[in-house]
Amino acid sequence: MRETVVILGVNHRTAPVAVRERLAYAEHDASAALERLRQAAPALGEAALVSTCNRVEVIGVAADAERAWAETVAFLARDRGIAADAFAPALYRYRERDAVRHLFRVGASLDSLVVGEPQILGQLKNAYAQAAEIGTAGLVLHRAFHKAFAVAKRVRKTTLIGRGSVSVASAAVNLANKIFDTLADKTVLLMGAGAMAELTARNLQRIGVRSLIVTSRTFDHAVALARELGGTAAPFDDFRPYLRLADVVIGSLAAPRTVIGPEEFEGVIRERRYRPALLIDLGVPRNFDARLNQLENVYLYDIDDLSGVVAESREEREREAAKAETIVESEVGSFLRWLNGLELVPAIKDIRSSVEQLRDFELLRHRAWLATLEPAERERIEGLTRGLVNKILHRILSGLREGGAEAPNGIYAAEIARRLLAPDSAADGLLDDQADDGDDEP
Amino acid sequence: MHTIWLIPALFVYALAAAGFVAGRLGANGWPARAAVPLLAAGAALQSIDLLVRGVQAGNIPVTDFAQSLIFLAWLTALLALYLIVRFGMPVVGAFAGPLVFLAVAIAAVMARPGRIVMPTALRSAWLPVHVTLALLGYALFVLAAGVSVVYLVYEKRLKAKRPLDAGDERAPSLEKLDRVNYQLLGIGFLMLSLAIVTGAIWADATWGHYWSWEPQETWSLAIWILYAALLESRLAAGWRGRRAAALTIAVFTVLVGSFVGVSLIAPGKHGGNFG
Repeated sequence: MRETVVILGVNHRTAPVAVRERLAYAEHDASAALERLRQAAPALGEAALVSTCNRVEVIGVAADAERAWAETVAFLARDRGIAADAFAPALYRYRERDAVRHLFRVGASLDSLVVGEPQILGQLKNAYAQAAEIGTAGLVLHRAFHKAFAVAKRVRKTTLIGRGSVSVASAAVNLANKIFDTLADKTVLLMGAGAMAELTARNLQRIGVRSLIVTSRTFDHAVALARELGGTAAPFDDFRPYLRLADVVIGSLAAPRTVIGPEEFEGVIRERRYRPALLIDLGVPRNFDARLNQLENVYLYDIDDLSGVVAESREEREREAAKAETIVESEVGSFLRWLNGLELVPAIKDIRSSVEQLRDFELLRHRAWLATLEPAERERIEGLTRGLVNKILHRILSGLREGGAEAPNGIYAAEIARRLLAPDSAADGLLDDQADDGDDEP
Repeated sequence: MHTIWLIPALFVYALAAAGFVAGRLGANGWPARAAVPLLAAGAALQSIDLLVRGVQAGNIPVTDFAQSLIFLAWLTALLALYLIVRFGMPVVGAFAGPLVFLAVAIAAVMARPGRIVMPTALRSAWLPVHVTLALLGYALFVLAAGVSVVYLVYEKRLKAKRPLDAGDERAPSLEKLDRVNYQLLGIGFLMLSLAIVTGAIWADATWGHYWSWEPQETWSLAIWILYAALLESRLAAGWRGRRAAALTIAVFTVLVGSFVGVSLIAPGKHGGNFG
């Protein structure tokens, strides 16, 4: 049976988190798990283990896919201490073209929860590095992973799949980048301690914000969060002086009505000498008066505005994903052509040695006569036979290689050629006899 | 008059302008990607035209309005290239490209046939210094106004919660546009000041008086005051962003009016009447 790529796994679509979390491997355990898998699943000639919060997959190479899958399922059940019945219905299994396509789609982030998110490529690279280190990645997986990385790069380069903001926090960061050239000299005022506000503040720190002021109705909360984020806490009763300092104000207060209105903020703008201010209102009900957006150099985005940005980015990514699928499909084709060509290698080797053997045999048979010739004449005859052999081999092999693209026909053709040219026992016997005879000749 | 080099330059500028505009509209094909090299090629072809005419005239070729316009377009193209490459702001091409094309096209149509003879009064080492400073100042003001238009468009879209343009994430930030606008205004103002000073010195050397209140001089002074006020408003009152952009455009319209008006309606000495 022919060796091919096989994949078995679960992802965010097929399995709920309750199943994924029980199957997932901790990063530090993944290498050891792969080692254990190698012992437990002999049907897998090559293997790699991808484990992220959204997917657990075994990517391997096997001649007997069914056996490889059964061994892998048994291994996962035993190794993770989870009944096979509990996750078997959520499993997807791919082989050959489907498996290669799946691997490429995962790498290109087409199979991700958020299409186009870049982390998966790094995770896939880790999985490959582990397999390469342990030695479970062989000829096929090396090539398959490298190809998957190349496909991901091409998709990222030629489509806009990674563009736009797909979360409210990243939308806020993108907004800050549109207004401010650098965030390093900007100050963020965080009002309230909601989870989304905190995440937004963290994202802003990631792109350079160094100065952060936290204020909250409960001063202790502000102090705790400020300590965690490396900022300073400000009393809520007296937050107004800080507005003047803040280039970005994030509101997530649970307040019955707005806490900042346009009249008071106009004064703030003058005090700020018209430096732009980004107001991000994550509160429901809203913390900032909607009319603030009309003030000079003030940009107000509320939760719906940000959600709108996110929805548009997601739609754009979906459109770009269609282009990416086309790229993946063409790369899958080219990979399979290589893989099928690879399978001809043993047959091609046999054919070559068979024909070479015929030549050796003929030369041996006539060696007594050849010995009587001048060295120059002998060389010419050797050259002539070599040329003849190479011409015949070239015709057969190039024909097979071209046909190899259309597996399985190429493989059958190679097999037929191999059998036709195989030295039979009669010839072998003849070779031996003649060789003996030759020795006896005077 | 112009040389045969101007027509290919005009053609290449047209392609560059189309490429820049297409790029802003989201096109990703070769015209958008070739826009910067095309603008550079246009400027190179135009350099040959300027050089040949400069050699013919024996001095910097700026003896009439059409020639000044061509020289101004050339300076604008070079400065735009610098802004695009140095500051990573291809959006500058979207206004500079069409403007340069338009200026060269108008100048090519207006150009008087025949060889221009440089009046004796202008055969001076002061001419290239004075004219280059003045037109360099103008070119900087052209770009400042263009950057201000971009600022106003982007800021309006930002307030309306729309993407800035087709290349949204690579679009320059408002802060960057504002800063570049300020720098262009600052350097432009310096150039204009130096142009006025060198003009006065040259006038004194040629006619014996520094200032004669001829139309170009009067308007230049007015424009100098307007730009001084514009810079002052930023330094003293902190006017920046939207307000600064709007004022930059307003002052620039006065500049365009004086450049065209003085040259065509009341040229004085600057129009080539040196009686």
